[in-house]
Amino acid sequence: MTVYTRGGYAKPGTTLSYATGTWRVQKPVHAHRVAPCHAKCPAGEDPQAYLALVEAGQWQQAWQHIVDVNPLPATTGRVCPHFCESACNRGFYDEAIAIHAVERYLGDQAIQHNWALPAYQGMARQERVAVVGAGPAGLSCAYQLSRLGYGVTLYDAMPNAGGTLQSALPEYRLPRDVLNAEVERILACGIRFEPNKRLGRDVSLEELQSDYQAIFLGPGNQKSRPWAVDGVVPRDLHQALDLLKEWTTVGTVPVQKSAAVVGAGNTAVDIARILRRCGVPEVHLVAHKAIPAPGVPEEDAMDATLREIQQAVEEGVIIHEHRGIRRLILRGERVVGIELVHMKKLPDVEGRLQRVAFEGTETVLKVEHVIPAIGQVVDAQGMELLVNDKGMIEVEPSFRVLHQQNLFAGGDAVGAGTVTAAVGHGRRAASAIDTYLRGNEPIAQGENSDDFIEYDAINIHYYEKAPRPVEPTLELTDRTELQEIVKTLPPTDVAHEAQRCFSCGNCLACDNCWTLCPDSAVLKTRETASDGSHYVFDYTYCKGCGLCANECPCGYIAMEPEV
Amino acid sequence: MEHSEKTVKLDIETLRNHQPRYQGLTSGHRACLGCGEALAARLVLESAGPDVIVSNATGCLEVFTTPWPESAWRVPWLHSLFENAAAIASGVEAAQKAMGKSTKVLAFGGDGGTFDIGFQALSGMLERGHNVLYVCFDNEAYMNTGIQRSSSTPHAAATTTSPVGKARMGKRHLKKDIVSIIAAHHGPYAATASVAYPSDIRKKVRRALAIEGPTFLQIHSPCPLGWGMDGSKSIEVARLAVQTGLFPVIELERGEVTAVMPIRNQKPVKDYFAAQGRFKHLLKDDYRAQKELEHLQALADHNIEVYGLLADEPDDWDSEGSDTVRRGGIRWA
Repeated sequence: MTVYTRGGYAKPGTTLSYATGTWRVQKPVHAHRVAPCHAKCPAGEDPQAYLALVEAGQWQQAWQHIVDVNPLPATTGRVCPHFCESACNRGFYDEAIAIHAVERYLGDQAIQHNWALPAYQGMARQERVAVVGAGPAGLSCAYQLSRLGYGVTLYDAMPNAGGTLQSALPEYRLPRDVLNAEVERILACGIRFEPNKRLGRDVSLEELQSDYQAIFLGPGNQKSRPWAVDGVVPRDLHQALDLLKEWTTVGTVPVQKSAAVVGAGNTAVDIARILRRCGVPEVHLVAHKAIPAPGVPEEDAMDATLREIQQAVEEGVIIHEHRGIRRLILRGERVVGIELVHMKKLPDVEGRLQRVAFEGTETVLKVEHVIPAIGQVVDAQGMELLVNDKGMIEVEPSFRVLHQQNLFAGGDAVGAGTVTAAVGHGRRAASAIDTYLRGNEPIAQGENSDDFIEYDAINIHYYEKAPRPVEPTLELTDRTELQEIVKTLPPTDVAHEAQRCFSCGNCLACDNCWTLCPDSAVLKTRETASDGSHYVFDYTYCKGCGLCANECPCGYIAMEPEV
Repeated sequence: MEHSEKTVKLDIETLRNHQPRYQGLTSGHRACLGCGEALAARLVLESAGPDVIVSNATGCLEVFTTPWPESAWRVPWLHSLFENAAAIASGVEAAQKAMGKSTKVLAFGGDGGTFDIGFQALSGMLERGHNVLYVCFDNEAYMNTGIQRSSSTPHAAATTTSPVGKARMGKRHLKKDIVSIIAAHHGPYAATASVAYPSDIRKKVRRALAIEGPTFLQIHSPCPLGWGMDGSKSIEVARLAVQTGLFPVIELERGEVTAVMPIRNQKPVKDYFAAQGRFKHLLKDDYRAQKELEHLQALADHNIEVYGLLADEPDDWDSEGSDTVRRGGIRWA
């Protein structure tokens, strides 16, 4: 028995012998949540992760994080409609992070400094895979397969790789030196590239199936949808896609006094802007949809990228929203005008959207040239049996072609719609091919999930408002046919953007939990703990009050019931 | 998950002893879940360091940190009477001076032991000019004895001795303006702070400790039990108190206001009341409730006006990073 002298005292720190952790009915745990940018990227990029690396000053590691899933960041940073930014939680606070600008900067730096793509280090595998189509889907698939150790041969009908990016994207959107640098780097991963080999003409599907153990088809949508108005077609009909291809290779388009482009996608907007650049004074764009704006529902919004539409309007393209062509006004076989009618896509009795023309709203527009851009389908040469009547290749969720064993497909041909989605398809198909070649049934890969962390889980009090930097854009008068319109941000702005990131669902080591625990039950570590953060909960003393979870700015801490 | 695969086998004991901060108040104390006062005391000791002597008045802090024979303190610590933390601290400081030692003396008291029963001793200590930092942990009632009203309880707050009923809507009188009274003693430094801004508390403690002479710090510390809310909401409620203007965070030197914490987004007092049980009678559909709401909003607006809490210049919105976070936790305090 301890004898206390007069003036007894307690020894310091002796409450440590009393474990207040027994008081708990709930305990804090670290719960990594998926950030919305990661959930919504069709290629599977995790912008939250690489923005954190940029913030830490690790630029090359940030780039390596991107090219793990997307080997074309300088390209996608320029042409992707950036679904990540539309989903960014910061958009509810002040302005979404300019993720595409960071991606683009990293891609440009990689080109400038010749950073190397991650290569396969182990033993080469025996199986060989053929990839048909050197567009984004094919390049992505070939790249991922070569990283898994397979020998890949990449076939393309054109002399250069890049697919639609090479043949139909205007230079002012995507400079060719940027695209070529990224394509070359992918091909240098040991992929054998066979240009000028068209499927059906120079090489057949049967040949490929006998020479290779698996085949990936990424032919893209190289054929325009056939177009006629009441069965009538002008004699000098040029499809927009063909004009774009002619423009990028030869550099000319037919120039007349006025032209009307029919369509609401990127092809339509691109050809409209090119016509303006080449000197056509009056260029109209007839779309049965509306320009994307805050009040416009998604099904009714034009499919083209918003920035391209805005720049088109700046450059003088006249956009007719919610219009269709009722009749062509011909003189002989030449078009002298079109009859426009108000048109919208509305659901029919089965709920499917159909184009509805509103009788009595017809007007006549005098134009000399009508250029349809109403959609593209697969050019089925060489694979006629695989293409359905809608002009698409049907695939299982694992990207294996329906009713086939070793044929896989992805990209626009299966309905990707964007470069980023095509890259995602290529990667997932490569994984499915790998599974198949190892003797297992290929299964569906993780698609975009809706289970991401929402804005109300972020503790916005801890973030300062800061504006989004604006990318330097060429003035209207300075825009030429070839010069890139939007320039890359300077590195200070890129670092600023990385700092604005909320770090949704992932610890940013802000010390809030460590500072605010009244019981000192959050301990800081130098090393990364097994759950990925730098903090450890001391469950001996944690009373489960929940302050840490409530004050965590990024929603990384969750309280679990514990009885 | 894209994190490092390094699984660190952590020895919690060692980790606890290697934290990059001074632990003057250890774990294992018997505070309620989410206690604002425990947090405030921990933060004060962190910035004060080991070379201090604490004189603590009777109250929640004293009771939950020293359940005999245990103690959560790791600095020399004296339990004074309820009313004389300042007097005991004065004696300790005088002894230190006589012995030629320079250990700083801190006096801790709750709002009851500072605004009410400890008031005379505090005033005496300030007048005699002892080199003591007096920290008042303001949870706005006598919480230890079961939530009785003190002169620090806000107007219209419900406590057991200022209940809500037909005659009254909570406490009749206003919250005592202790800072003005302290200011009138013309001491070298006095400040208010809130647990919602921990870096700010640490900055002010360090500032006060560097000054020779009597200094005063009033830290707004929410009490989940007494204020009627969940322990996890303590910081949120403290932040709302500052953002409505009901608790101005200011610094004074020799009686003049020299710095304020600017309010970035002013919140209506209704938000603050909706978060707590002790004000829920003000949100009822009662003509008296409306009158009190207006009164309290006017009090908040008055504070904002008098101390200039809403700034006009962009620079004045800088709270020196005490209310925002950075990746890596680079808080300067």
